[in-house]
Amino acid sequence: MTAICGILRGSFEDYLADALPTPQRRILREHLAACAECRGLAVEKDPTFVFARAVRDEVTPEEAAKILSAVKTGVALMETEKRIRSTRRRLAGATAAAAAVAALVLLLPGARPGGGNAAPPAGTEASLAKPLAPAPPSSDAALSAAALPADSAAPAGDATVYDWNPGAGREEPRVVWIVDRGLDI
Amino acid sequence: MELVYSQRREREEASSLPDRDLAIRARGGDMVSFETLVTRKTPAVVSLARRIVGNGEDARDVGQMVFLRVWSELHRYDERYSLNTWLYRIATNLSIDFLRSARSRERAHGATLHLVEEREQSTAADATRTAEDAELARLFEALSGSLSEKQKAVFVLKEMEDCDTSEIAEILGCGESTVRNHLFNARRILRREIGRLYPEFLRGRSL
Repeated sequence: MTAICGILRGSFEDYLADALPTPQRRILREHLAACAECRGLAVEKDPTFVFARAVRDEVTPEEAAKILSAVKTGVALMETEKRIRSTRRRLAGATAAAAAVAALVLLLPGARPGGGNAAPPAGTEASLAKPLAPAPPSSDAALSAAALPADSAAPAGDATVYDWNPGAGREEPRVVWIVDRGLDI
Repeated sequence: MELVYSQRREREEASSLPDRDLAIRARGGDMVSFETLVTRKTPAVVSLARRIVGNGEDARDVGQMVFLRVWSELHRYDERYSLNTWLYRIATNLSIDFLRSARSRERAHGATLHLVEEREQSTAADATRTAEDAELARLFEALSGSLSEKQKAVFVLKEMEDCDTSEIAEILGCGESTVRNHLFNARRILRREIGRLYPEFLRGRSL
């Protein structure tokens, strides 16, 4: 028994009550790890003193490598999922923008369902693209660029609005669609 | 060849950085720093998880979850504070969640019974631990089944990880008085269980 043993044995109660300042607490723990006599007395006083020391599980290099490998795979998956989610969000945004443009076109004056559409100005993109559009069921059906005001017939970017109206009294519905060459899908 | 050399140099450089710098670099997407951090912290995280969940296999699963959570939450890490505290908070919470799940509860119970029955036998996994540490770990695993998750976490952090009460309060997101209360109750229950299962400790036996 050394002088320090006597001093530290007097601090067992404080240790158990969590009343020791951190430095003293660490000194006591280190001492208990080294001094079998004090450790015996401490355990006799309170058996939970047997745990008053750092108990570290050693992780073998193989186990650590397995954990690291699993974590790396998990991180790669998470990053892939994040990229997919981001692409989906961009697509959803583009679709919503296209739908908004379509709705705007339908609400504009002169674009009411069943109403007459202004003929596309000669040389506009709609008239050039006419052969690619569905053929009208009869001669009174009209295929035209959307009835936007002349100055906005070509919306922002490379988008073109097509409006196919089979005509009043026909069973086929009116169809409006947009070709936006600016979308990167 | 040059690429391999460059990667090796990058790893060597990362291994000399403190935890906080590694975390900041990893937050910027630096995978080498993140891997260094995982390698450095794996023993502490797995050890803490093992004390709480009760067996090595589950502890390794929890360890993986901890590091994945760290990766996804690194943007929330405040570098003014200790990385260990933040890491222990994640590890403790995930260990407690794991323990609470029905599956792990069954497995922990099975593991405890197994440990009580075969206390004196060394398993292959224990071969790398020192004999005393292995016996202490088995003793705690056998006894701690009677503790609540929070009591177990507080006791492990205080006694085995040597954390301050204020640090434990921060890790568990509760007050210091709550930590002391859990610690007091954990000691009381462990004393009772030691007396019931291993009365030789009450007669002054020490490890």
